[in-house]
Amino acid sequence: MKISPKKYAQALLEAIGEKKVSEIKEVIKKFVEIMQANNNLSQINKVIEQFNKLWNKKQGIIEAEIISAKELDKEIVKLLNSYIIKLTGAKEAILNKKVDKNILGGVIIKYKDIIIDGSLRNKLDELKIKMIK
Amino acid sequence: MSLTKDFIIDELKNQIAGLEAKTKKQTVGKVLEVGDGIAKISGLSDLMMSEMIEFKAASGEVIYGVALNLEEDRIGAIILGDYSAIKEGDEACATRKILQVPVGEAVIGRVINPLGKALDGKGSIETDTFYPIEKIAPGVIARQSVNTPVQTGIKAIDSMIPIGRGQRELIIGDRQIGKTAIAIDTIINQKGQNMKCIYVAIGQKESKIASIVAKLEQAGAIDYTTIVLAGASDSASLLYIAPYAGSAMAEYFLDKGEDVLIIYDDLSKHASAYREISLLLRRPPGREAYPGDVFYLHSRLLERACKLSGKYGGGSITALPIIETQSGDVSAYIPTNVISITDGQIYLEPDLFYQGQRPAVNAGLSVSRVGSAAQTKAMKKVAGKLRLQAAQYRELAAFAQFGSDLDADTKAKLRRGKRLYEIFKQEQYLPVAVEKQVLIYYALANGLLDNIPVDKIIEFEKGVFEYADNMGSEILKEIVDKKDLDEKLEAKVKKLIGDYIDTLDYIKK
Repeated sequence: MKISPKKYAQALLEAIGEKKVSEIKEVIKKFVEIMQANNNLSQINKVIEQFNKLWNKKQGIIEAEIISAKELDKEIVKLLNSYIIKLTGAKEAILNKKVDKNILGGVIIKYKDIIIDGSLRNKLDELKIKMIK
Repeated sequence: MSLTKDFIIDELKNQIAGLEAKTKKQTVGKVLEVGDGIAKISGLSDLMMSEMIEFKAASGEVIYGVALNLEEDRIGAIILGDYSAIKEGDEACATRKILQVPVGEAVIGRVINPLGKALDGKGSIETDTFYPIEKIAPGVIARQSVNTPVQTGIKAIDSMIPIGRGQRELIIGDRQIGKTAIAIDTIINQKGQNMKCIYVAIGQKESKIASIVAKLEQAGAIDYTTIVLAGASDSASLLYIAPYAGSAMAEYFLDKGEDVLIIYDDLSKHASAYREISLLLRRPPGREAYPGDVFYLHSRLLERACKLSGKYGGGSITALPIIETQSGDVSAYIPTNVISITDGQIYLEPDLFYQGQRPAVNAGLSVSRVGSAAQTKAMKKVAGKLRLQAAQYRELAAFAQFGSDLDADTKAKLRRGKRLYEIFKQEQYLPVAVEKQVLIYYALANGLLDNIPVDKIIEFEKGVFEYADNMGSEILKEIVDKKDLDEKLEAKVKKLIGDYIDTLDYIKK
């Protein structure tokens, strides 16, 4: 049977469980051996990606992307951080900040498969549509 | 001047101030792969079945798709439009809308594609009403059995295989045998019958559609007809949604309590298009490589044809699906499916066609399961046993080829049958009004044609129709109004035909 990267990642997560760091080393060594025996080492990158997702889910960590027109100051980032945590119910948020001048102003938040578009560009577009109507 | 300018500026300011631009929350996905009109998308975790998806191509163009497969971590969607503009990694947004098409009076007299885009160069379709293309058919409570006829204007069909409003009658036969011709004749004959017509062309040649449109225009039938065209060069996804889009347009008129005739030309190509989509979406193939739900594909479409009871508006959708068989094989997968769904079929036979018997309706294999309830009494009286007679004649004729002596009864049957089949012959685009059909069938049933040579029947028919138009127009009108042939009227009809026969010189008296 074909074992998908997701299943590998899940297995690894379960194997690690609540073990200590010293024990984890042994687990990982065995895990790699199994992957090698199954000739699946080429998929290791995908497994890591999946593991990352599963780990974050388990620990209540959420990754979010924030796009703004210019660098945001710390105060606003902090506010956004708590806003995202409140929105998603996660324990912790990791923010990737990006700067895109095309959105003119405001901010766009992306997490999971959801986009919250609060940019000036979007508002202007909507205004345009309404005025044409 | 400046007053109006100020007013405009003020108004603009008010509008903008009143405009509260909301922050948009949207679910998005990423295109994983795209090709052959199919896209696989990751993300979009809360997408609905058959929801519209908006693809934002790199060129800024917006292309729509429809979700067909919802899997654990990906979505399979068909793309409606040019899929080559979509690239891997492009953004795909959920729209929270089921695919819908513009409907309303604006589509009448137009040639449009299944998405409601005009194809006839007469400008875009202006309407605010949209209907979803998939809709659950009306239930038991809302329905009523058929009680009004659809006059096709084709003598062989109106007499032997009557169709009622709300019925689903299949037209089946090989290629090039006059299936579309029957459908087009029926549309032409709906003039003044209070019927909207929708012709859905699925995978047809554009040249064929152009000639059909020209013909309908010439006959003045385009004023109540919509043509939904998914041509042979369109993608399988457009072919797949075309009949559902046509049905949605019909449902608009149904909801207004009107009668609609819808023609699906043809469902074999529709099944092929769906097979293509299903195989590309990696659904498991079944018999003839069609997916498992190909029966449901057609049953849910044809179930939307209905006759509603008066309480629900009393409208109707009559469906005439067309199926093309391969060398007369009606036991293939799709033909048997559609035969079992519909309320009867009109079977067109190649042998008859090449003998010059056109329309080549096979009387034995064609049936109409509910239509006779809708036939007018007058027609029932003169054409009651016609189908049996026609089928018997075909059997006898084959038998009588061995020649030798036949008894008088058989000879009489043969003579009657020969004349009957002459009457069935009809040219294309020339529908015959129902009262005239009653006239000629009355003449046949009462032996008035027995003395007329077989090769003169067509001439006689033409003559008697002309004569009736000139001399007996009030009799024709009476047949239409009464819808019945009582004794008094019968005597009048008999006298009319008798008078005409007296004027002929080729009759042996």
